[in-house]
Amino acid sequence: MRKKMSAPSELYCWKGERGLPSVDPDCLTVLAYAKFAGAPLKVHKIANPWRSPTGSLPALKTSEDGSLSQPHKIIIHLRKQKYNADYDLSAKEGADTLAFISLLEEKLLPALIYAFWVDSKNYVEVTRRWYAENIPFPLNFYLPTRMHSHALDRLRLVRGDSGLEPGDEAEKELYRDAYECMTLLSQRLGTQKFFFGDFPSSLDAYVFGQLAPLLKVKLPNCKLQQHLKSLDNLCHYCSHILDLYFQNEASDGPARKAPTPREDGSDFDNEPHKRRNQFLSVLVALGAMVGYAFLTGIVSIQRSDPHNALHGRRAPQLAGDEVDDEDGE
Amino acid sequence: MSLAAEAFVSQIAAAEPWPENAALYQPLKDDQILLSDHASSLAVQAYLRMCNLPVQVACRANAEYMSPSGKVPFIHIGNQVVSELGPIVQFIKAKGHSLSDGLGEVQKAEMKAYMELVNNMLLTAELYIQWCDENTAKEITRPRFSSPYTWPLNHVLAYQKQWEVRRKMKAIGWAGKTLDQVYEDVSQCCQALSQRLGTQPYFFNKQPTELDALVFGHLFTILTTQLTSDELGEKVKNYSNLLSFCRRIEQNYFEDHDKDSITSSTSRLSKGSSLM
Repeated sequence: MRKKMSAPSELYCWKGERGLPSVDPDCLTVLAYAKFAGAPLKVHKIANPWRSPTGSLPALKTSEDGSLSQPHKIIIHLRKQKYNADYDLSAKEGADTLAFISLLEEKLLPALIYAFWVDSKNYVEVTRRWYAENIPFPLNFYLPTRMHSHALDRLRLVRGDSGLEPGDEAEKELYRDAYECMTLLSQRLGTQKFFFGDFPSSLDAYVFGQLAPLLKVKLPNCKLQQHLKSLDNLCHYCSHILDLYFQNEASDGPARKAPTPREDGSDFDNEPHKRRNQFLSVLVALGAMVGYAFLTGIVSIQRSDPHNALHGRRAPQLAGDEVDDEDGE
Repeated sequence: MSLAAEAFVSQIAAAEPWPENAALYQPLKDDQILLSDHASSLAVQAYLRMCNLPVQVACRANAEYMSPSGKVPFIHIGNQVVSELGPIVQFIKAKGHSLSDGLGEVQKAEMKAYMELVNNMLLTAELYIQWCDENTAKEITRPRFSSPYTWPLNHVLAYQKQWEVRRKMKAIGWAGKTLDQVYEDVSQCCQALSQRLGTQPYFFNKQPTELDALVFGHLFTILTTQLTSDELGEKVKNYSNLLSFCRRIEQNYFEDHDKDSITSSTSRLSKGSSLM
């Protein structure tokens, strides 16, 4: 059977921060699965969802089947291409995978959405700030608020609540479900390296995708994070996957700050240029004010002879002596 | 309910024994109740029978509005009202009856995960087929849902509910799915359940748990309900161990009481309300 040589598919995802390959849980899931299954993907880390082929991230651009956007569909596509991380699982383990993924989506994901997007302090200080700083102008004024309202809508519809303000009641219920879910995952994982033995599978990709941002991103207001940190085996599990499969990304994180002046700095901190820009703008403003003053005559420099100005009727040839005499008087 | 109020309620609940006049409320059996609501209601009834707790089933046209969370079924015990299987299980546990106490930690985790699987895939698929498939919605769902009301309220309520369900589908990403993909998901879910069940009588060997009640509720309803096409039932029928599982629970827990209670109600859940 001849194997068709096709170009590797391209994956577009949100870029990462602080040791994480990506900040978005869905992107992390897809990246992790690709690494586990050994799929050769060309990864584009971008911060502008409008540049992706489907308009949202993550997105997989394939050579034959067009573009796919949900992580679920992307993983099915990779499986069809024979990159299957679940190949060695038994039938029962496959069933358990579906069940635990449902558990994650029903119990943990709503609490995560709440913690990152609805809780006011976290949203303003961390999430919105990150997206506003990294999405290019002018989308950074519009997209974070749109993502915020999507998240709010989703939570409201899924829980059937009309009142989902960042109040205590809804938060307590969501977090309680999430604590239970994390505890259950921890119990299921036990002391194993991965959920189904020594090799990672798609369930590991999903769990990692949800838990890694919670572990790594510093949220000011987060009991969820504290609960996660109390579950040692889950913390070790996430760090283990990061070290094993994403160590390039992890070292890129802090190192990236150093070559900032060399890169075209539209998205990064412009510290060296900031001073220069400030100086230039002050100079331009001063120049404009002075020019305006001269043009309208508020300030004028008289080029005419000072003697004519002071003593209008005297003859010019006696100017020098006269001035002395005059000054002497 | 806030956590403090819940703790208080469960303390009170634990103090009282199970009353004689406990009632379970659901929409009207013959004309109004829909596939998804019937499945949830049957799951709760099965659970109560497994715990040996008697309950009267009361049908009301406005059951959905009476419920504290907006979802049916709900039970009325003494002076408390609890809705949906999850909270009902907790409530009954506070009274000292529980089916899952004997399970180990890992098994409890699996049980909860599989219950979420049923909620996430089967229930969502049922809602999708009922409300997002235009054929089914027009011929079965909307007429049934609005049958107790007069014009124009029936149209208003039916379309309002449909709009709400479609928004929810969009929010969770199911709006882009075709009917075939939904049937495929149902098939996968049944395959997972079938593999987990294997050759055991119940999911956790000898004793039934709330997971068995939930699975029974959904599968039995799917098998005995006539929709515009038989495909949903066919997907379940592919797995013989699930069929014998449903039969086993029906025989053990529903046949010794009034035999007609569930079989007659489910066979009438078809378009028009003619007996099939």
